[in-house]
Amino acid sequence: MRERHGEKVKKIFIEEQYCIGCRLCEIYCQVRHSKSRKILKAFRKELQSIVSRVTVEEIGYNSFAIQCRHCADAPCVDACISGAMIKNENTGVVICDQDRCVGCWSCIMVCPYGVIKRDISGRKVASKCDLCFGEEVPVCVKNCPNEALKFTDTDPDTASAKLG
Amino acid sequence: MEKITKSKTDYLIIGNSAAGVSAAENIRKIDKTGGIEIFSSENFVNYSRPLITYYLSGKIGPDRICFKSEEFYSRNNIILNLSTAVTEIDTSRQEVITDRGRKIGYGKLLIASGGKPVIPFTSVTGRNNKAAGPGSEISRLGGLEGIFTLTNLADAVALRRYIEENSISSASILGGGLIGLKTAEAFLEMGLNINIIELSGKILSASFDEEASEIISERVREAGSSIFTGSTIESIRTDGGKIKQLTLTGGKVISCELLVVAVGVKPDTGLVRNWGIKDGQGIIVDEEMRTDVQNVYAAGDVTRSHDRLSGQEKNIAIWPLAVRQGAVAGKNMAGQNASYRGGFFMNSVEILGVPVISLGLSSLEESSSRDIRVYRTRHPEKQVYRKIITRNSRVIGAIFIGAVERAGIYAGLISNEIDISEVLGNISGEDFGILQLPADYKKHLVVGEGVEV
Amino acid sequence: MPLKLDLSEFEVLRDTQKCIECEVCVRQCSNDVHEFDTDDSRVYSDSIKCVGCHRCESLCPTGAIKIKKKDPEFKENYNWSITHLKNIYKQSDAGGVILTGMGSDRPNTVYWDKILLNASQVTNPSIDPLREPMEIKTFIGRKPDMLEIEKGDTGYRIKSQMTPQLELSTPVLFSAMSYGSISLNACRSLAAAAAEYGIFYNTGEGGLHRDLRKYADCTIVQVASGRFGVSRDYLENAAAIEIKIGQGAKPGIGGHLPGEKVTGDISSTRMIPEGTDAISPAPHHDIYSIEDLAQLIYALKEATDYSKPVGVKVSAVHNIAPIASGIVRAGADFVAIDGFRGGTGAAPQVIRDNVGIPIELALASVDTRLREEGIRHKASIIVAGSIRSSSDAVKAIALGADAVYIATAALVAMGCHLCQKCYTGKCNWGIATQDPYLTKRLNPEIGTRRLLNLLRAWSLEIKEILGGAGINAVESLRGNREQLRGFGLSERELSILGIKHAGEAW
Repeated sequence: MRERHGEKVKKIFIEEQYCIGCRLCEIYCQVRHSKSRKILKAFRKELQSIVSRVTVEEIGYNSFAIQCRHCADAPCVDACISGAMIKNENTGVVICDQDRCVGCWSCIMVCPYGVIKRDISGRKVASKCDLCFGEEVPVCVKNCPNEALKFTDTDPDTASAKLG
Repeated sequence: MEKITKSKTDYLIIGNSAAGVSAAENIRKIDKTGGIEIFSSENFVNYSRPLITYYLSGKIGPDRICFKSEEFYSRNNIILNLSTAVTEIDTSRQEVITDRGRKIGYGKLLIASGGKPVIPFTSVTGRNNKAAGPGSEISRLGGLEGIFTLTNLADAVALRRYIEENSISSASILGGGLIGLKTAEAFLEMGLNINIIELSGKILSASFDEEASEIISERVREAGSSIFTGSTIESIRTDGGKIKQLTLTGGKVISCELLVVAVGVKPDTGLVRNWGIKDGQGIIVDEEMRTDVQNVYAAGDVTRSHDRLSGQEKNIAIWPLAVRQGAVAGKNMAGQNASYRGGFFMNSVEILGVPVISLGLSSLEESSSRDIRVYRTRHPEKQVYRKIITRNSRVIGAIFIGAVERAGIYAGLISNEIDISEVLGNISGEDFGILQLPADYKKHLVVGEGVEV
Repeated sequence: MPLKLDLSEFEVLRDTQKCIECEVCVRQCSNDVHEFDTDDSRVYSDSIKCVGCHRCESLCPTGAIKIKKKDPEFKENYNWSITHLKNIYKQSDAGGVILTGMGSDRPNTVYWDKILLNASQVTNPSIDPLREPMEIKTFIGRKPDMLEIEKGDTGYRIKSQMTPQLELSTPVLFSAMSYGSISLNACRSLAAAAAEYGIFYNTGEGGLHRDLRKYADCTIVQVASGRFGVSRDYLENAAAIEIKIGQGAKPGIGGHLPGEKVTGDISSTRMIPEGTDAISPAPHHDIYSIEDLAQLIYALKEATDYSKPVGVKVSAVHNIAPIASGIVRAGADFVAIDGFRGGTGAAPQVIRDNVGIPIELALASVDTRLREEGIRHKASIIVAGSIRSSSDAVKAIALGADAVYIATAALVAMGCHLCQKCYTGKCNWGIATQDPYLTKRLNPEIGTRRLLNLLRAWSLEIKEILGGAGINAVESLRGNREQLRGFGLSERELSILGIKHAGEAW
């Protein structure tokens, strides 16, 4: 893991077996990326323009929530024709600068996780997880009622204390 | 940019676009002190070639057309030589000669000169020939006003100026491929009437099937264009040095005050023709982007490289591959091992409000071969069309019109040659996702840290 | 269809000002109470189906839902209560046995709430548990008649032969809850918490799932009348064996797991065919007398080389004292007594609410009887049957128990809201269900953490109470009836409990 000022960089890890398909992650993501940042106002007034950057996939009783993996070797950064998609070398976060984005959807074309969305509420731009910069913990992780998303620097699958 | 240039530089890069810049960036990450010089025959610090149609229509201004800032070059200590074409490469002396007569030695050389437009005719007759706009290959045709190619920013600038100065109200576009259509869209946004002239039976024939092509044609016609398929320009009439009329295949005559030739691009390998670097259609490179001349690399639209879907070497002139090839070349030039796995054709664009993505061998049908299967999802009322093509239970091509979200999942499936026989049930559906794909695929989709699922 | 009164107990109140139609409640309710109407773009709630489990209320991001109690109102009748009316309506409709889940909810006397603890003042100093050593560790197993100590080369050692003991870091264990009645994730949480805290959990009659083998050192395996899952492997992967004769919630009858809940995993763990009802017979068909019980106890001890304690679990019934005495004389290393308020996954309501006696009275009479007979040391007593707090545990130990079993408390720690619908298999909290969609809801990481927190909290409270009473070891509390006083109890009750009334001194 990349180190920054001696701390390891944290990522969101997904524990598929604990996802209950409630979609609270999507709701809180929408609130976080709304103008008002208040759940009632956001859902009453801004619903058409707030895109959730996390997607819950569900088939039968299996489900999981997936968002941008902030890949080290991000294909979206390669594909971006306008220089809007950039990986910050310090934080490791891949950010889409929506002012530079021209809505060509090349990033959508190459993202193997399919976690970039078209935000067509205003100027057509690409929308994706920004690890909630400004928050200590991304809101999807914080609000998951079953701890199916973890924000940590170690892959929980390899963590030594593992329950049966 | 400093004007001080050395007589030798460690890393010499010809070309200041996707591949060249990506190479420079990657070299600098590894080699903090080596000298890097980029030579560009153009006069712009930096711009993104795919954005020139956006610039043409005015959708973006000159401030938003670059993909790297000026500060990028200074911060990374990259010396940028603009308006300087490299005219000769002396591989035995390991030096290049510019059009100003300067000689520069190189430790490693990267040819990233990109592509040049294909001109389907070699001469145009008319009266009072005059020189055409700057930076255009058309000038070689003996000069004519009103005929343009559109492959660089200078073309776009000239075209804009020409339209304004001459109050152009209609234009014809030779070529119904992606560039032609983006140009058409730009013109439509500027309020012009358009004629699109396409040689094959349908527009977007390279990457689309009949059905997809028809959906877009519909949209284009609705917006005010005429489309002439199965046609090319048989002759051009001029008047006073300006283009006036076109005669198409079959005798149809249309008036024309502006013609943009957008038939395609081919590798600009002029430099290497006589210098021992093998040139097929495109400079041939290996997995490390080396040519067969020591210390000389090539990357981007100028190369022929590995096409994963056909298994052969091809010229695939698209932005993401150029960036990736440039990165691989740069790393190898700086002494770190990297290899390029190959790529395949893909394109994403929004035409007249309809997003459109094509991946791989997207025009195949089940009749093309015994082991090809095709899966479709259609919602014509929403202008949604999704087509997935598989061969031996592996995805090899896809077309998405309208519902393009998550298209990249299929790019991943193509690239990694994943067996999708278990999940065929819903393969072309809008809700197809990665949930059902094998766990170890989900976990290691992209190489590198921090991508665990 | 005959006219029928809606006898449901709960009403879903939705504050439409706060509802954002996010549909979380719709997705989470396994009883299909909530539905999103696409035409009206609103969520409608059908309160009739609500069981009062609070899943929706807990997850609603805006707090728009409130579940309210709503019994239909009849003309006041103390004798013919609503419960009786409902039962008769149900039985006239369907003609079956009314099932229920969890422990008795009737307004009977809870003796714990009428027993008070002591604190030391003046005559005896109290102890500060944070500053002075406080031992709440205890051991379950047969204690020797006499302890001989001899001096050896390296110091003193115990000469007497010691029988196998279970070491508990706190006098609390997790009681028997079978895999089948609860989900595997719930079992995992209990096992992991027991392992980490240094106590034990009980498999119940569901057999031992292969994922739980690694917790062998803290597992008590149960040999019940159905003998589900009992094999050599089963006995080897255990720290102790418990022969289940009875269960507090349904004395005299055996366990019942409906066929719908017998899925692949349950089937292989219990070693029965998929889809068949797992009904345990009422008696063990090889135990028809106390001699038979002794035979089984010793057969199990032989099979395990006398390396593990073998105990017996019984329900608290009228003659519990001589029964316990017989069990101890039959060779059991511990006796687990499950009182009448104990919980269950499924039991006939009429048995749960009417059969058996409260654990407080049972415990007191057993402890007194065994002491009178001079055999109290031969077996440990573990009590169960709604131990709800650390104070209940302390009172139980003071009445004579060595340790307490908790089950309902553990489930509540993991999220149970006591809606008492365990037998439907639709537990919204992922506890009493095998539906894979629902079992995901109990994340064992969270479950374990919460159980550990509960154990830690109770242990600290036990130490506080002991310290306040001037006692520094749980051994000194055991059977120390002087620490207890009753209040609001009759002479008879006080005499059975063997405690004085509040206000009476030594």
